[in-house]
Amino acid sequence: MSVSEKVSLSDALSNVDVLDELTLPDEQPCIEAAPCSILYQANFDTNFEDRNGFVTGIAKYIEEATVHANLNELLEEGNAHAVMLYTWRCCSRAIPQPRSNEQPDRVHIYERTVQVLAPEVDKLLQFMYFQRKAIERFCGEVRRLCHAEKRRDFVSEAYLLTLGKFVNMFAVLDELKNMKSSVKNDYSTYRRAAQFLKVMSDSQSLQESQNLSMFLATQNKIRDTVKDALEKINGYEDLLADVVNICVHMFETKMYLTPSEKHMLVKVMGFGLFLMDSEVCNINRLDQKKKIRLDRIDRIFKNLEVVPLFGDMQIAPFNYIKRSKHYDPSKWPLSSSPNPPSPQADLMVHLPQIREEHQNYISELARYSNEVTTTFKEAGSDSENKTVTDLCLRGLQLLSSWCSVLTELCSWKLLHPTDHATNPRCPPDAEEYERATRYNYTSEEKFAMIEVIAMIKGLQVLMARMETVFCDAARRSIYAQLQDFVQLALRDPLRKAIKNKRDLIRSIIVSVRETCGDWARGCEPQQDPALKGKKDGEASFTIKVPRRNVGPSSTQLYMVRTQLEALISDKSGGRRTLRKDLDAGVLQHIETFHRQSFYWGYLLNLSDSLQKCCDLSQLWYREFYLEMTMGRKVNKCTVRHQHNEECNDLITMEKRIQFPIEMSMPWILTDHILRSKEPAMMEYVLYPLDLYNDSAQYALTVFKKQFLYDEVEAEVNLCFDQFVYKLSEQVYSHYKQLAASMVLDKRYRAECAARGASTAAGAGRYASLLRQRHVALLGRHVDLTALVAQRINADMHRALDTAVAKFEAGDITGVVELEGLIAVNRLCHKLLSRYLTLDEFEATLRESDHGVLAPYGRIAFHVFWELNYDFLPNYCYNAATDRFVKCRGIQFAAAVQRERPQQAGHALLWGSKQLTLAYSAQYAQYNGFVGGVHLHALVRLLGYQGVAMVVSELLGVARGLLHGTLAQFTRALQAVMPRHCKLPRYDYGSNGVLGYYHAQLTDIVQYPDARTELFHAFRELGNIILFCMLIEQALSQEEVTDLLHAAPFQNILPRPYTAEGEKPETKQKRLEAKYSALQIVTNVDKFGTAKQSQLAREGELLTRERLCCGLSLFGVVLRRLRAALQPPHWPAPAPAHAPPQPDDTNEFHRLWSALQFLYCIPVGDTQFTVEELFGEGLHWAGCTIIALLGQQRRFEALDFCYHILRVQRVDGKDEPVKGIPLKRMVDRIRRFQVLNSQIFSVLSRHIAADEERAGVEHVRCFPPPAAHHHAN
Amino acid sequence: MSTPPRETIQKQIQQDWANREYIEVITGSIKKITDFLNSFDMSCRSRLATLNEKLTSLERKIDYLEACVTKGETLT
Repeated sequence: MSVSEKVSLSDALSNVDVLDELTLPDEQPCIEAAPCSILYQANFDTNFEDRNGFVTGIAKYIEEATVHANLNELLEEGNAHAVMLYTWRCCSRAIPQPRSNEQPDRVHIYERTVQVLAPEVDKLLQFMYFQRKAIERFCGEVRRLCHAEKRRDFVSEAYLLTLGKFVNMFAVLDELKNMKSSVKNDYSTYRRAAQFLKVMSDSQSLQESQNLSMFLATQNKIRDTVKDALEKINGYEDLLADVVNICVHMFETKMYLTPSEKHMLVKVMGFGLFLMDSEVCNINRLDQKKKIRLDRIDRIFKNLEVVPLFGDMQIAPFNYIKRSKHYDPSKWPLSSSPNPPSPQADLMVHLPQIREEHQNYISELARYSNEVTTTFKEAGSDSENKTVTDLCLRGLQLLSSWCSVLTELCSWKLLHPTDHATNPRCPPDAEEYERATRYNYTSEEKFAMIEVIAMIKGLQVLMARMETVFCDAARRSIYAQLQDFVQLALRDPLRKAIKNKRDLIRSIIVSVRETCGDWARGCEPQQDPALKGKKDGEASFTIKVPRRNVGPSSTQLYMVRTQLEALISDKSGGRRTLRKDLDAGVLQHIETFHRQSFYWGYLLNLSDSLQKCCDLSQLWYREFYLEMTMGRKVNKCTVRHQHNEECNDLITMEKRIQFPIEMSMPWILTDHILRSKEPAMMEYVLYPLDLYNDSAQYALTVFKKQFLYDEVEAEVNLCFDQFVYKLSEQVYSHYKQLAASMVLDKRYRAECAARGASTAAGAGRYASLLRQRHVALLGRHVDLTALVAQRINADMHRALDTAVAKFEAGDITGVVELEGLIAVNRLCHKLLSRYLTLDEFEATLRESDHGVLAPYGRIAFHVFWELNYDFLPNYCYNAATDRFVKCRGIQFAAAVQRERPQQAGHALLWGSKQLTLAYSAQYAQYNGFVGGVHLHALVRLLGYQGVAMVVSELLGVARGLLHGTLAQFTRALQAVMPRHCKLPRYDYGSNGVLGYYHAQLTDIVQYPDARTELFHAFRELGNIILFCMLIEQALSQEEVTDLLHAAPFQNILPRPYTAEGEKPETKQKRLEAKYSALQIVTNVDKFGTAKQSQLAREGELLTRERLCCGLSLFGVVLRRLRAALQPPHWPAPAPAHAPPQPDDTNEFHRLWSALQFLYCIPVGDTQFTVEELFGEGLHWAGCTIIALLGQQRRFEALDFCYHILRVQRVDGKDEPVKGIPLKRMVDRIRRFQVLNSQIFSVLSRHIAADEERAGVEHVRCFPPPAAHHHAN
Repeated sequence: MSTPPRETIQKQIQQDWANREYIEVITGSIKKITDFLNSFDMSCRSRLATLNEKLTSLERKIDYLEACVTKGETLT
């Protein structure tokens, strides 16, 4: 749009209205204080600048308006000086002092000192001038009003209130000046430097400097000056009594809005009474004369023992009374006694009421707000507008009252710090400020404060959202009330006044009407009979009062209210009041109007009022305490001994310019929620943080001090980091606990709970916190979700790291626990992914496993390491239980050294201590053996690649064993084997056969290394073979499960049950049709692109093609082993031309027969059996070698032991032969024979299948010819 | 300073009412625009945050895949 283009007003306005219709979704739940980037406040307060426009008003009040304008300016200036004093930070401490008079750079230092401090000192000088001027002005006003003539006249409420504000200002400035010792120090530093440099040469400036010095040094200077000056004025006490009375009246009828106004009234009462009480005047006597009511003030002072003076400075108004001359405790029964304590000290008393008010108000507001948003109205009726306006006012008053409760509590606490005796948690050497804040609140109080803050901030948001509606209604309603009152209600008294010739009343009413009347025709209707004092005639005269969307200007409002007050005032110093000339009804009407219109100023300036009612910025400011402690932390003597004078000298000071965050109210509250993890409070956690926003806003707009803002900012930076850290840690551990207790078996959990170890995760309400994408903090918007997600992502990595590290620190049996840990982490990841965007779990896992860049990860590596160094050397296989176990009591190989795991918190493992206990009890069951569970877990964790790696590495070990130890032993033993060893005839009897073999094989039987080394080598080889076989079994089972899961999606349906007479084909077809929606490939073909369908096909292929569908891992293992059994690495008999003789002993199976004979010899009861020591790995190793060498049949036919068995079966002898019990020996042989044949059958199945696949045997089976002709 | 006739003053005061009403309307509209800008701001922030999150997660995925594919050296 070009600039020159004209837009009509109505177009512009409708454009603005259209903005409302744009939908601006913001998906974050509102659990923080009003976030706004742009703050727009229009201020129409003219400070009576437009007073001359209302010439029709009574001149006296226009003059008064001029006075008001001037006084307001002075008040503003006074406030600026108060800010200057309050925020004064000591400069002189930072300025270097010349150490001696001879120091060469002394002059330079002094010059710079003067240069730096001059502007500051100038402020102090201005302050001194100001207080002189203000006191003069104040006393001038008092003198004017106390003049004998004037005294009879009435003084308006606004005037008295302004005087009250002056009294308050003096009190504040005086206290600030007394408190700030740094101001005095800075000034004396400046003075010393200035005197040295002779900057102040003329006598006048020297005098001024002297004055300022005295002014700053004299305590209570302002207070005393005011008091002295007032005491010279005749009858000043009456005026001050009026001021105090109006304050009491306004306090009691709640004629104030913001908390600071409320507190000002109380301060004025206290300081006012102090000023009144003097030589000439006794307040107790005034009380007797009913000029003031001390009993009412007493009650007020009791209810509000401590009020904020400025920032974190507090004052007990009753102290003024105590310091006054005629203090009489009997007149102050409530305030003078310490018991019961003031209700202000106990937030819990107020809480139920506040809750109820909040509940009621927001329900009403919600109902109304729904009405407004669903129906569109140009402007409501007068009564509707009035209702809304009242609702708005009530909201403001509620906010203000809650705010005052809170600030009053904090003030009380600041003035009543705790100590070690009252609060044991408070250490004896706690700092002053710490005792006033950190240790001064109980847990309930903190929660109550948080709740109240949340209510205040929450309601502020709701009201701010409806601000335009409220403003609109308020303006319309106020306009209507004002015009109706002026144009209609005032007609009657006007008529009467004209008729009865009450000129004063008439002139006041006329002036009211003319000041603010907005007549339909531009001016007062002249034909109105009331103007002539007549009654409305037959032809009834009507006035149509217009309606507008605007309120009266501030001056107009002042004029109307003050002039009406003149009418209804019951005080006019002896003369008869005007009240007597007015009807009771009219009087009441005017009074009601006067009372209600008090709040109009606030309503017309809603945005500002709302902010002031919710301002909690002073909870952070602590300039008073900083000044008091000079920012020092006192470190007392910490040595344990009887402290004495001497060790008092050891006190050291630590210089700081701010208190640590642990003593800062906003952080105390925030931290309290985080620390207690109270789920009901968790959603309030952002509200206490908003106090920083308030404080920063105050520093920028009221204090206008960069350094304060910087300090707030620095604290926020620190706090927010901590907040995010603590929050994410909490969220993570909460969800970890949740996941862990979900994974835990339900009945086991119940059992744990019954035994007092509750494993259930506590409640947690983090959902809405985790959706905060823009948290407003000091004008920045922080994406809390992203920050938390970032941290939790890192936690996820660390947790998986820890899981793997824990596995690495233990033996192979830990693999089950590792899988459990990963499962819990996976579930935790899934739960958190509902709210946060985290890295994919599998990716995280691979990264923690270090499997992204390397071909195998830490898990696979550790598995192999454990297999090689612990599993193979130490475990024995037992087919009955299908487990590998360690031999009891004997450690075969050197103990394995593993890295000690680093200590990890519960959150990184199972979530909590109880859960860790529960899970470790559960996984302790899997220690001490390696069985199917472990192998399944291994397969699932390692995947194809890992299994392949492990198996190929194991094959390497096996080859090493075969070519190394085993080949060596075989060679050595074959050398000691008898050349020929026959099968003795049955005639010898089994005892003879045994004796024969024993004699033949005596070298082998007595071979020393057989049991200690050779058998172990065989056992290790057997373990490898068994492990490979079992892992393939586990892998196949996993694959089958997968395939079954995938089957419905691949159109593989189980054969349906068919009753008789049903065709299975039709039933199958029906089922296929029913589940056709599940079939991925056909559906993607139908609906997807070519690329997608190709991908789907490939995916399906990957799902379908599995190892178990025709490939055998174990077969490959056997083939590789066979390849390793070739000469020259493996000792084989040299190929002979003659066929092998059965009695030859040069083949391996003969050697094995000898070894079998050895281990079949029964051992004594106290000795370890062969089974115990070597398990079945031994047999597997031997049988596998025999089978792979193709010597199985020969072995079965020629084996020594089998022969003994066969002979014994026939003769059934049982006698010991050379100490060997024959029967027991034969029993053992039988058992091993069975075992051997089982092993052979398993092996032969695999070998046969493998050979078939390898194409070694091509036997084609021809089916028998079918006899077709017979069928025909 | 001579006081102008009453009617003139009343007319002026009425004019003042009208002017102030006009100002209020404009102020109210500015307030509405401010409110709109604030909620627009919030809405944008929330959407941008979502977008940012998606981009970040994609970037991390790319990093991961790059690492998977290249085994050490980066693609850039």
